[in-house]
Amino acid sequence: MNCRAVFGQQSPVNASTIRLSIIPTFGAKSIVIRDSAFQAKDARNTQIDMLKFYISRIQFLHKGAVVLEEAQSFHLIDAAREVSFHLAVQNKRGVRFDAVRFHLGIDSATSVFGAMGGDLDPTRGMYWTWQSGYINFKCEGKSNACTARNNEFQFHLGGYKQPFDCLQTLTFPISVSDTITIQFDVERFLSKIDMAKHHHFMSPSADAVRLSAQAAESFRIVH
Amino acid sequence: MKTKIVFLLFFVVIGIAATAFRTSNDWLFVVPRGWQKPAYNFQQNPLHKQKIELGRALFYDPLLSKNGMVSCASCHSQYSAFTHGDHALSHGIHDSIGTRNAPALMNLAWQRVFMRDGAINHLDMQALAPISNPAEMGESITHVVAKMQATILYPRLFAAAFGDSVITGERTLKAIAQFMLILVSSNAKYDSVTRKQAVFSEQERKGYVLFKKHCSTCHTEPFFTNHQFMNNGLPVDSTIRDLGRFGVTQNPDDSLKFAVPTLRNIEFSYPYMHDGRFKRLPDVLNHYTAIGLQNRTKSHTLAKELQTPIALSSNDKVDLTAFLLTLTDRGFLFNPAFSFPRNIVFETAKD
Repeated sequence: MNCRAVFGQQSPVNASTIRLSIIPTFGAKSIVIRDSAFQAKDARNTQIDMLKFYISRIQFLHKGAVVLEEAQSFHLIDAAREVSFHLAVQNKRGVRFDAVRFHLGIDSATSVFGAMGGDLDPTRGMYWTWQSGYINFKCEGKSNACTARNNEFQFHLGGYKQPFDCLQTLTFPISVSDTITIQFDVERFLSKIDMAKHHHFMSPSADAVRLSAQAAESFRIVH
Repeated sequence: MKTKIVFLLFFVVIGIAATAFRTSNDWLFVVPRGWQKPAYNFQQNPLHKQKIELGRALFYDPLLSKNGMVSCASCHSQYSAFTHGDHALSHGIHDSIGTRNAPALMNLAWQRVFMRDGAINHLDMQALAPISNPAEMGESITHVVAKMQATILYPRLFAAAFGDSVITGERTLKAIAQFMLILVSSNAKYDSVTRKQAVFSEQERKGYVLFKKHCSTCHTEPFFTNHQFMNNGLPVDSTIRDLGRFGVTQNPDDSLKFAVPTLRNIEFSYPYMHDGRFKRLPDVLNHYTAIGLQNRTKSHTLAKELQTPIALSSNDKVDLTAFLLTLTDRGFLFNPAFSFPRNIVFETAKD
């Protein structure tokens, strides 16, 4: 089960292609992690060392019904790789749609499928080893608000089995357009965490489920 | 007319080739007579001789560990039924000691979840756990792939197995899974008796009767495990405090439950239990006849079959042991296809 969008490559865009961009931001500012971490100029002196998450099962809807669904739809969005922000979904039939829907994370069927390639290859660093399952969302960095050693926080969210199924489904209404931009605001996500109490989540748990919902609420459509 | 014959010949040749390929794959893995269909989906990872050979090389190569000192085979040696012979707990890199006894590896195609607590949900993904555990190989699959890319050996082996020399995590894991899949043990004396090619001695026959009465609910034939998680009444080791399956599910009803191990090749898979606390078979039998006699060993998850001690006389224990020794499969333990690949020279890992 290989991904259509191979990691590090961008599919060609043509008239029948929907361009969907998922942009990590800190507030209004785009996050790009290159040779060094992203440094925010906020009161907490927040630093983002790593921000990676899976977007999967991208669907387009018209009046609530699915009219287009991407095949083999698994994408790892990595703040350290700008090329991963931009997805291209083929719309050969030119269907009209008024909403886009996708998962944040990897579904349970895929989680028990065995070894897979592309963005799902375990070498991407998004697969737990001591207990099977994909890490849906990883955010690591530093904040003055964090009371852990070196002010470091690590949030690895995942879990595909009840009662700790962390998969989130997001739906955004859109005016008919072939270019869609959605932002993930990490400042909004972190602002909901009391880092005096919580500095790291590393396994499926009720907290991981709660934070996954908070991560989902930190997405917003720009246009 | 000539064209028609050529066409026919073409299809005959293609047909023979296709059948040969299928036959060759069937030959690589045979479901023993009377055994159920494997749980592993071979269609997702079709067996191929060169992939198996790659998996075998990976299984025996210490390159998989951080310091190039520990291979899968270090803790899973063939002559001890792919366990860590004589080691209650295994040692990984830098002499680190783990918390569990290395399980025997055999008949894994019929198993749905892996490890003593079932934390791993697919055979393909199993190898990730020991590769990454700091007390075992202390490495990452990402770095293993990078190290293999820098060798002369592996691009060649991957090309032979997959058609090109690209090395990925997916291919690595699937190749290791293929080697583990062919580790089938089904030719013990017990199997010969089942197939009516041999007969039990009187002692073995009596032992088999006792086995069916007292043991087979959990150690179910033909795998000699029911592939379930059970609490067999072992007191918690106070230095390890391993709660087994509970650590995975967080469900109190799973506390102290561990995967029921196969009894095949038990003669060579000592020491026994999830923490290797029993060195000899008599220790194991004595545990089951004494279980529950002390309140401290009773927990609410204790298997219902063990709520009262199993009654076995000294003679019964000898008979039962005689039967258990009929589960030894020397053809498996000494199969050259499963042993160290002598035709391969492993390169020193460049870290």
